[in-house]
Amino acid sequence: MSPRPHLIALAAIVVLGLLYAFGSKDAVTLDLVFTLFLYATLGQSWNWISGYAGNISFGHAIFFGCGAYAAALCTNAGLSPWLAVPAGALVAAALALVTGFPTLALRGHYFSIATIAVGALVDTYVRTQGWLGMANGFELPIKNGLGWLQFSDKGPYVALALGLFALVQLATLALERSRLGYYLRALRANHAAAASVGIDERRWKLIAFTSCATFAALAGVLYAQYTLFVDPPSTLALSISIDIALIGVVGGIGTLWGPLVGASVYVLLAKEVALRLGGSGKGYDLVIYGAIICLIAAWRPHGIVGSIIDALRRRRGAADVVSVQNPAEAA
Amino acid sequence: MADAAVEALTTFALLVAGGLLTGLVFALVALGLTLVYGVMDVVNFAHGEFLMLAMYATLGLALLGIGPLVGLPLVAAALFLFGIVVYRIFIRRLLAGPPEATVFGTFGLLVLIQGAAQALFSSDYLSVPNRPLQGTLHLGPIALAQSALVEGAGALVLTALVFAFVEYTETGRAMRAVAEDRVAATLMGINVQRINALAFGIGAACVGAAGALLMLSYPVYPTVGSQFALTAFVVVALGGFGSIQGALVAALLVGLLEVLGGFYLSPELKMVPVYLAYLVVVLLRPQGLLGRR
Repeated sequence: MSPRPHLIALAAIVVLGLLYAFGSKDAVTLDLVFTLFLYATLGQSWNWISGYAGNISFGHAIFFGCGAYAAALCTNAGLSPWLAVPAGALVAAALALVTGFPTLALRGHYFSIATIAVGALVDTYVRTQGWLGMANGFELPIKNGLGWLQFSDKGPYVALALGLFALVQLATLALERSRLGYYLRALRANHAAAASVGIDERRWKLIAFTSCATFAALAGVLYAQYTLFVDPPSTLALSISIDIALIGVVGGIGTLWGPLVGASVYVLLAKEVALRLGGSGKGYDLVIYGAIICLIAAWRPHGIVGSIIDALRRRRGAADVVSVQNPAEAA
Repeated sequence: MADAAVEALTTFALLVAGGLLTGLVFALVALGLTLVYGVMDVVNFAHGEFLMLAMYATLGLALLGIGPLVGLPLVAAALFLFGIVVYRIFIRRLLAGPPEATVFGTFGLLVLIQGAAQALFSSDYLSVPNRPLQGTLHLGPIALAQSALVEGAGALVLTALVFAFVEYTETGRAMRAVAEDRVAATLMGINVQRINALAFGIGAACVGAAGALLMLSYPVYPTVGSQFALTAFVVVALGGFGSIQGALVAALLVGLLEVLGGFYLSPELKMVPVYLAYLVVVLLRPQGLLGRR
């Protein structure tokens, strides 16, 4: 399929988003839009390894944390947080290499549990290290200007989040059409068959894992500069990893637009819950998210976008087209 | 000098005893998980939340004047029914979907139950009033909490009972047949849906009983299940997914690692050796210590 409709849609989103970012003065909605694009970026990053490659991770927040902590350390040391962009990305990539090399060959729940264990180890490590602020985390000093990645309005933050999302979306579009993308989907559909035609599972999955870890780290840098506060529960705890996975699953794993749709649902729900039930921390938000995951898993396991794609295919009567979600199913 | 050595040895013996007793409770929790996995290839990520529900149920009974030990069979029976209902309306649907649906689905169940507990019971730590068995038992220089002894012994007996059920009864044999080959079992006239539901119910009953025992010494709060579930995942992977004997051996090992790690490293690092053990085992021996593949 031609990438053109996707590019047009993305361009429209970027134009509308930019107009909104610099046109609106409504801080509450701008905050929601910032969160939307930040989470869509994280969801897409997760989608690379868990959607396209099929290794479901419950530990993706550690890469987000790499970026957030890099930004906090840089700013507190009087260095520009722009330095945290390569630094955070590099640390995240290294962490992905070190943890991915042994674990990516694991399948199914073995990998998922390993990501929980790795996430918990990273969380524990940060909580016991003085230079990482122990359990208390860091506040970031208030500066101003593009050089410090801090702005008095929310508009520029929204624009940056939008830019990051667009970048990751373009990368994903390229992934879908690249050798790497085809290999990952082949490995996901049937790893034994893929291996038998010479696809090196560890090598290609490591490339995907390392790349998507850097996307999450970039989102982390932006997040830290936006909230000016970084601590383990807000950046690398299991609950953040769960949110990221939730966004990917709800939208539809292994689809280009799934993460954006999932993030929209997530942000709208978070707002509704806060409005009607008095914020998170009381468990109502968890009840709703949990119920949504359950419903999707049981009745629409391909997520919102995946279900739409399947329905479109069925209407076209393309019996010979293999389902995106599970090529083995159609075989 | 000699005194210091004796003291260090006594401490070590105390820790080992404590670790083994903790391990026996882990074994009962992990048993439910490994049974469900063995029969239907589902890792129930909400297993710890079932445990949490059982602990709240035990607390509720205690507030009505029914102590944890008397309440144990009631809680186990309630969880058994709960497990069957969850299987019938939810897990069965997941099994019909793509393989990752069971991972997401049971994970969603975890989030849902945990949120509901937070909404209903708040995040406070709650304990059974007038806990029984608060004394200690002295074996020479070693003093053990009576509650820990009863928890360990109770868990051991129940684990043995479930093992005997799976090993020696007709239904248990049917369960093992389904675990071995679902299609062949169906052809032999075994109702796989019924066996699945039963296995899920028994798995839930195991944490039902474990929850009642744990209320002898633990408080309950909405996220209490997570730490036990994580430990149970590690135990089940260590022992080999689906292996009951493996789970028992691994649980004792993990209990020891956790208690010794908590003492000799530091309390906040007590899970580190456990997670490292998981990673090392799944990488070097993916089938687990006693697992088959």
